[in-house]
Amino acid sequence: MVALSPLFDAILQHLTLVFTSLAIGICLATPLAIFSVFYKRVSYVVLTTINMAQSIPSFALVAIIVPLAGIGFVPGIVAIVLGSIVPIVKNMYVGLAKTDTALIDTGKGMGLTDLQIVRYVRLPLAYPAIFAGLKFSAIIANGIAVLTAIIGSGGLGRIIFEGLSSFNINKTLSGAIPAILIALSLDMIFSIAEKKLKTKSVY
Amino acid sequence: MTLIDTIISVWTIHQITLRTIQHLYMFSIALIISIVIGVALAILVYSNPKLANLWFNVLNVIEMIPELALFIFLLPILGLGEKPTIAACVLYSILPIMRNSYTGLAHVSNEYIEIAKAIGLTKNEILLKIRLPMALPLISSGIRVAVVYIMGIATLGGLIAAGGLGVPLQAGIYRYDIPTIIVAALWVGTLGVFFDFIAWIIENRLARRFNPW
Repeated sequence: MVALSPLFDAILQHLTLVFTSLAIGICLATPLAIFSVFYKRVSYVVLTTINMAQSIPSFALVAIIVPLAGIGFVPGIVAIVLGSIVPIVKNMYVGLAKTDTALIDTGKGMGLTDLQIVRYVRLPLAYPAIFAGLKFSAIIANGIAVLTAIIGSGGLGRIIFEGLSSFNINKTLSGAIPAILIALSLDMIFSIAEKKLKTKSVY
Repeated sequence: MTLIDTIISVWTIHQITLRTIQHLYMFSIALIISIVIGVALAILVYSNPKLANLWFNVLNVIEMIPELALFIFLLPILGLGEKPTIAACVLYSILPIMRNSYTGLAHVSNEYIEIAKAIGLTKNEILLKIRLPMALPLISSGIRVAVVYIMGIATLGGLIAAGGLGVPLQAGIYRYDIPTIIVAALWVGTLGVFFDFIAWIIENRLARRFNPW
């Protein structure tokens, strides 16, 4: 048997990892996406970089963080952000850029500035796409958060790795099952949020 | 000179050539199996959207499971090593291939199907001569997603004794051996980008060749 209180600590730590990096990811992705909407060249650079970053295996990403940022909780967060930011930026950009031009023209006709158009026209219409991106990103973040335990970020991955190295199946399962449940509940939460915003934002 | 020396010594100490071969071996087997299963499943369900949705829901749940957690569940069944790694790669990459193949097969424009029926093709001939060729660009973009997934999961295989390029990465992290980490991670990253690029080229070729317009 595995003692319960360390397990709860690990779950809490895991959730902290996932949500902190999601929050940081959103903060970084929003300006990138908005800049890419307005400047063609920025969008080209951002999208090319992001597409390339997507094809790098997550384990390599986690490993390369060690020489750059060392080991521990913060490097773990850096790795998770790098691994999971791609779908946020991509979906945000697509959602913001593919708004119906008629609506944007209407906004301009009413005298809205570019930023106001982003805030009041583009953003509400992009909510479903953005939330789909967030959902995907949260699930990737959950996967990488398990992996970052190898560079000492703690969380459920630590229990899995400890179980693996002592060949203790019960221990590995007690790490793996909560991780799966977290993934499923993240998916559910974001699906519900997506649905609510969809009905609201239809014009 | 010292830089090149370091790279060479890391390369030989960690047998990266051998690890790359192991990696590509797992990669190709997993890719072939998942293409066969994914396309076959899509062919089985393309005329039945309800059944297809059922499959997609099941595969979606598998897709959400963290890779390492999936390994943990495969370990008691398949043991350590290559088998669970390949199985995990296949389980993850069936979904993108099957979803794209299904979309491609099911959403061929009705005109083509009607013309084919009018000249007397049977259902199987329509599938082989019309639906499948027209779905090829979509299928290949599904395979491109699968290529990225399989590269990632095959790398993780190093953690459960499957060999491959995860091994030098893991060794580097455990020993805090910076040169090893950098060389191995850059090599894995380059391979990932390279295979994605090849898949992208193939996808573009097919899209141009089978573009119906």
